[in-house]
Amino acid sequence: MAGEMEFRLPDVGEGIDAGEIVAWHVAEGDDVREDQPLADVQTDKAVVAIPCPTSGTVTRLGARVGESVAVGAVLAVFAPAGAKTGEGAGEGPPVAEAPAAKGSPGPAEPARAAASADAMAPVGAAGNGAPPASVPAPRPLASPAVRKLAREAGVALADVAGSGPGGRIVRADVEAAGGGTTAAQPAAAPTPALPASPAGEDRVIALRGVRRSIARTLTHAWQTIPHVIDFREVDATQLVRARRALKERARRAGDERLAAALTITPLIVKIAVHALRRHPYVNASIDLEREEIVLRGAYNLGIATAAPDGLVVPVVHGAEAKTVAEIALEVADLSAAAREQRLAPEQLAGGTFTVNNYGGLGIWLGTPIIKPPEVANLGVGRLQDRPVAVDGEVVVRPIIALAVSGDHRILDGHTLGAFVSDVVELMEDPYLLLQDAR
Amino acid sequence: MVVGELAEPVDLLVVGGGPGGYVAALRAAQLGRDVLLVERAGGSAGLGGSCLHVGCIPSKALIELADSAHHARAMAVAGLAVEGLQVDLARFQAFKGDIVGSLAAGIAGLCARQGIRVVAGELRFNRPDRAAVRTPDGQVRFFEFRQAIVATGSRPAVLPALPVDGERVLDSTGALALDAVPRSVAVVGAGYIGLELGTALAKLGAHVTIVEALDRVLPTFDPALSRPVERCLERLGVPLRLGARAAGLDGDDLVVEDAAGEARVSAEKVIIAVGRVPNTDELGLERAGVAIGGDGLVPVDAARRATPRIAAVGDVVAGPALAHKASAEGVVAAEALSGHPAAFDPTAIPAIVFCDPEVATTGLSEGEARAAGLQVDVGTFPLAASGRAATLLAREGFVRVVAERGADRIVGVQIVGAHASELISEGTLAVEMMASPEDLAGTIHPHPTLSEGLAEAVELLLGRPVHVSA
Repeated sequence: MAGEMEFRLPDVGEGIDAGEIVAWHVAEGDDVREDQPLADVQTDKAVVAIPCPTSGTVTRLGARVGESVAVGAVLAVFAPAGAKTGEGAGEGPPVAEAPAAKGSPGPAEPARAAASADAMAPVGAAGNGAPPASVPAPRPLASPAVRKLAREAGVALADVAGSGPGGRIVRADVEAAGGGTTAAQPAAAPTPALPASPAGEDRVIALRGVRRSIARTLTHAWQTIPHVIDFREVDATQLVRARRALKERARRAGDERLAAALTITPLIVKIAVHALRRHPYVNASIDLEREEIVLRGAYNLGIATAAPDGLVVPVVHGAEAKTVAEIALEVADLSAAAREQRLAPEQLAGGTFTVNNYGGLGIWLGTPIIKPPEVANLGVGRLQDRPVAVDGEVVVRPIIALAVSGDHRILDGHTLGAFVSDVVELMEDPYLLLQDAR
Repeated sequence: MVVGELAEPVDLLVVGGGPGGYVAALRAAQLGRDVLLVERAGGSAGLGGSCLHVGCIPSKALIELADSAHHARAMAVAGLAVEGLQVDLARFQAFKGDIVGSLAAGIAGLCARQGIRVVAGELRFNRPDRAAVRTPDGQVRFFEFRQAIVATGSRPAVLPALPVDGERVLDSTGALALDAVPRSVAVVGAGYIGLELGTALAKLGAHVTIVEALDRVLPTFDPALSRPVERCLERLGVPLRLGARAAGLDGDDLVVEDAAGEARVSAEKVIIAVGRVPNTDELGLERAGVAIGGDGLVPVDAARRATPRIAAVGDVVAGPALAHKASAEGVVAAEALSGHPAAFDPTAIPAIVFCDPEVATTGLSEGEARAAGLQVDVGTFPLAASGRAATLLAREGFVRVVAERGADRIVGVQIVGAHASELISEGTLAVEMMASPEDLAGTIHPHPTLSEGLAEAVELLLGRPVHVSA
């Protein structure tokens, strides 16, 4: 049709060549406003919200939920406002509805006539016996309860294939299409809350979006990387003192935001960067096809973070050039963005090493899985007071258990061990950081 | 300092206490909102709106009275002898008042228990967050609100040639307040209000004439639905002046013009029932940043919001001017303004006319479905073949089911017949649930009831009827 506008998937971030449709927020035939949400597109590990580029009517969607769209391929076609087609315009906003409704002037009977027409007309149809001015677009085959669930979950029913009788969309279809994972999740929920199901009944959830990406990455990592794990117990007395001193200082300076951000994680990031500079093979990647080990020039530290729809690893880029305070604020910002599912693809890309502080989950000792193409992952357990032997005496000290996974193809036990020993040394005596301070 | 100019803070302001407004207020209160409801006529006189005080409920009371009298006489064929049947409309007015009063008190009680403050008075917006209310004692109170829901309803439309005077020329409100049955009545307008009032008054003994500009009664409904109603009106002795215009009064008569020229209809009372006009013109909506269309309606989004902070529901927005539609929108508006994902997206809004026989529709008629490009199958079961209808002396009418062939789903149901108003909800449920015709056919309907008609219509649609010949 003349005047239609093809909207192609924009390049939403560096190095992304395709995106998967996680949810449509519009349906074919919808009247939309510029900047109204169009679709959620999954790239790398982020879900990117793409707004409508124009006001008008959606005449075609380029893919179904779950399908992949290449960058530059048609995402949706719009008939700009004013060029509205006759068909498929039915479900538009009520602004355009039933212009002939109540109270229109005319001889003898007109107002009543118009109002009675309304009384019988289906939603969205105009009255007065004429063919409905706005014909209802084909409605998805879904009951009111399923439509409500879809609305709450941000799932566009037009994109859901129904598994019920005659293709009817049932509750499970909406849940499988991402119901409960895309919209309006409580920020703190680490896993999607599953609606209660009748006792004893299996429920099938389609593997989509971030969860599928996690499943693929971790399968690949676990199946291809021979993990070697170095476990240590660290006396964190000085580290705790250092953190407290920094926190107090921030508070005295009135910087409550920094004070809150100064957890143990930014200190460990700083320590890891120092150790990595001495052990370049730990800040590396492996390319088996080219048979190359790449010692990375940048120190981009990924921070494993629980997000509503699954684990994400936002990256503090150039951590070697950042102060502990800068790192603390950045980590706080990144985890807030992860919880609110608004991480940009570039905030998730380019990591050279991962820090995984699972202590907050109560875990004492973990077995971190390496994120390819990185070669190591530093797992940090929960800080706990433990009895330890110091100079032949049993004393209670704050102890942190480290579990550092290394890619055994590159890192031998002694190379990984040397790196971990440096980390332990710096954690136990943080003032040693001074020796490299510039 | 003028005390009256101090604005009282309001969390959620609801304007209008009808089925849209009071339901919105109750839902919002359930969601923890602090609600102030402004109703022009005040608590017991206003809560429930036109529907309760001058519309649905009083008219149904009058129709029930008329039907009882009519049915008692009709039952003569079955051996019922009624001598000296009398109708006392003055007594009826007291009866009607008791019903309305108790229902309004019930709504007031619900509001009180939910902590909703009800203020009597006329409201005008003067800012996007502020409104003034002129209370019945002449004072003005100012309210500064966080959010508002406009639910001010509609009022009867007027004909310039026949201004309503409340004596000779009545609107529906006046007609329902009659305390004696007029000798003759001319009803202008054969939409649902005109038909309901005209039919009831005819059954109560008035000589009723119905004047309609278009060529049939219920002109905006499927023509098939008009015919059984027109036949019943004929039997009641109600002349239909179709394709005719009410030009004005002349002595005891109403002057009616049609293609053949001028004619006179004797009319002790004239009832004007030519539609309703949304109450949006005297609210200061423009100062609240709310647009009003040329049709007087407020454009709203799916969540019924006209602006981010002001929603509108019921007769002031597009769609049928029906109480149940207003209430459903009220719930949506209250939820949406309280941060919940809510949208008004029904597949069908049922509509009912309490004429004789009753007319009820839901979803698409055959014509509308075809106009929408659907391939449809239709099954029509005549109530003449229903045993229960025969015992009710109600063999006029039919049940029609319209299904979309490809999607294998029921898209509409139309019923003309006794108790159509009660029967239609099964059809609406079928449309909303996207039921297949086989779903209805496979659902056992109790015998002997009128509801069997729905199952029979579906069997006809499927080409395998049992109780009628295909």
